Amino acid sequence: MAQITRALPVTIEVTTWVTKHVGGDGGGTRLFEEPFASGDTVRTVLRRFSRRFPELDDALWNPTRTELGESIEVVVNDAVLGVHHQLESPLEGGERITLLGQFMGGR
Amino acid sequence: MSPTATAKRSASKTTVAPLPGGYTGKLLRVNLSTGKTWAEAWDPETMRDQLGGVGLGARVLWNEVPAKAHWDHPENRLVLATGPLAGLPVWGTGGLTVVTRGAMTDGATSTNANGFFGAALKYSGYDSIIIQGQAKKWSYLYINDDVVEVRDAAHLLGKDTWETQQALEREHGLTGHRMSVYCVGVAGETCVRFAAIHGDYGHVASKNGCGAVMGKKRLKAVCIVRGTGALRAHDPRGLVQAADDIAHDLKTDPATSTLYNFGTLPGVTNLYKLGVLPIKNYTTNLTTVDMTEWEPTKLRAGFDHRGHQCNACGMHHCHIQVIGRGQFQGERVDEPEYEGWSGAGWTIGLTDKEAVSWLNTRVDRACVDINEFGWVCGWVMECMEKGYLTEKQVGFRLRFGDVNGAYRLLQMITNREGFGDILAEGVKRASEKVGGEAAKCAVYTKKGASPRGHDHRGRWDEMLDTCTSSNGTMESANPTFQTEIGLPGRITPFDGEQVAKLTGGILGRRHFEDSLGGCSFTFRTRIENLARALSAATGWNYTLQDALRFGRRTAAILRAFNLRCGIGTDVEYPSVRYGSQPVDGPAKEHNVMEQWEHMLDVWYETVGYDRKTGKPKKETLHALGLDWLAKELWRK
Repeated sequence: MAQITRALPVTIEVTTWVTKHVGGDGGGTRLFEEPFASGDTVRTVLRRFSRRFPELDDALWNPTRTELGESIEVVVNDAVLGVHHQLESPLEGGERITLLGQFMGGR
Repeated sequence: MSPTATAKRSASKTTVAPLPGGYTGKLLRVNLSTGKTWAEAWDPETMRDQLGGVGLGARVLWNEVPAKAHWDHPENRLVLATGPLAGLPVWGTGGLTVVTRGAMTDGATSTNANGFFGAALKYSGYDSIIIQGQAKKWSYLYINDDVVEVRDAAHLLGKDTWETQQALEREHGLTGHRMSVYCVGVAGETCVRFAAIHGDYGHVASKNGCGAVMGKKRLKAVCIVRGTGALRAHDPRGLVQAADDIAHDLKTDPATSTLYNFGTLPGVTNLYKLGVLPIKNYTTNLTTVDMTEWEPTKLRAGFDHRGHQCNACGMHHCHIQVIGRGQFQGERVDEPEYEGWSGAGWTIGLTDKEAVSWLNTRVDRACVDINEFGWVCGWVMECMEKGYLTEKQVGFRLRFGDVNGAYRLLQMITNREGFGDILAEGVKRASEKVGGEAAKCAVYTKKGASPRGHDHRGRWDEMLDTCTSSNGTMESANPTFQTEIGLPGRITPFDGEQVAKLTGGILGRRHFEDSLGGCSFTFRTRIENLARALSAATGWNYTLQDALRFGRRTAAILRAFNLRCGIGTDVEYPSVRYGSQPVDGPAKEHNVMEQWEHMLDVWYETVGYDRKTGKPKKETLHALGLDWLAKELWRK
């Protein structure tokens, strides 16, 4: 079983309207220090985190919780998921995951 | 004020099929050259085939605007279209879709505005207005139920869009939502190539120079007294149920609740995080400004504001606000959309929120497209900073972030004064005229259409869409609930193949939306919901597959029209700056042009068009029920 370490947690940054799902008011940024275990991936960290917030869990994942849903952008260290990291990519302590509400503008 | 013509209703015409619910059954035709107006019946079969909005407009362009009738030719048509849901109790159904041959690309245009126009027109007994010809003197169109008149507009000349509305309200003794006015400001009178059509205090059909077309026709305004007619829905209970489901989606779905609460305001901070906020004419994607001050709650809290909702809309989107401090304290303005914060703000290096808000409304009141204004003004600012343009050329020194200078430039453009006359042609033509290093700094598509106020170097789907589109703006637009049609919920944004498959895959949804007579924000719901609302309104059994097929069919007709206008595959590219690699920010490692040709290949394959000629393939047209078009497009 992976060891949860107290050193170098992963930072989860929840922004703007997504904060509503973690007890915020829909504005600003809320930072969470998520304990990090050796071998953790983007998926395992996000799953562990979102389980604590049922509304976020619904918004972040598809109904079967196997894939991400469509409405929240996941950014790892300033790059959108898929550029440098996939869901299964291992994380290192000290990295940052940002949850960003999808923006649907006009044209 | 003497009327020059009054519409004659056509004699009652017996149709075999009953009129579908949601329609009035009449199109209003206006010939400005002769001053004649008349009502034209259209039959239920055509309604089902074309719906309204861009579906109707695309057919009008194809059938009535020949290749030689360029955007400024009297034979060009200006279609102000509603759709079958306009005026019914579905959120945001007061809008109009403007379809014409636009001035920027000299090709097809489809651009939307909201407010009350669509509902007012439907209650007056017309589904759409089709305008042709050119008035001998400046005129406005007055509609009050059966009274349709082309009236003298001499007293309105020189007025901006808000002043024009106010003058017409005074003239007719009507205020509030008892009358809807869509009009052009001075930029339309001078045919600024990126002039827009503005109405109902804050709503703009902005793309592809549709305001220049209206100005060229010497039509200052269209003024509709809210009609007294009633609309019938085939299944009122079903319609309300579908409307409720759409509203519920908007309020509760994570993807749309942000629109419900704040409109497009969240765009500033969100897009900055992704490297998609255009800063100082694409010269950087970073700022030292505290972005927490640009979150939607802060943007709204900084002003005395109140809701300014459109017809039948429950969104917390549009607002009128009063500036509370600074140089423009006390001015009443329209709360900027994201595009306003971008075009009148970040793109030109202006980050004083009160100043951006003021300038944005000034641009709207002049009836200038805010996106193109940003690209023009930002280009001048950058070129002056780098010495590519001189004070002597421009007429004064203009720096990034200078709101008073930007306003001065706006006035020069609007009145076509000095260097403003060159700028009034848009940044593509202006930069080509200036040439040299300056030409490399301009943001535009080779077709001439303005990109919207994003840095598309971090959003390749929108860049591909803008460059390949046949409507003078984004044609596929943002993916919305795309898993509904079997497409992936998310893609890697810098994987060209995935980008092209998604952009091509969603082509058609927007054409369907834009044919219903509603708002692109309140229609951010599943297609199935929209099809259900349409079925309940009309009595048709309209499915998701019908909607997609309709949308693809409309896209193919617009594409065929553009090809006939001479707009081919050779111009489906971004300008040097538009397609450049960002120098900093989250997208700095990604160069779109390295994948551009492959993206085009994949997009063409996905939409079923021929890569070499740009034509929809015969088999594609056959599958869409457009064999008649295939015969014309592919004849030897």
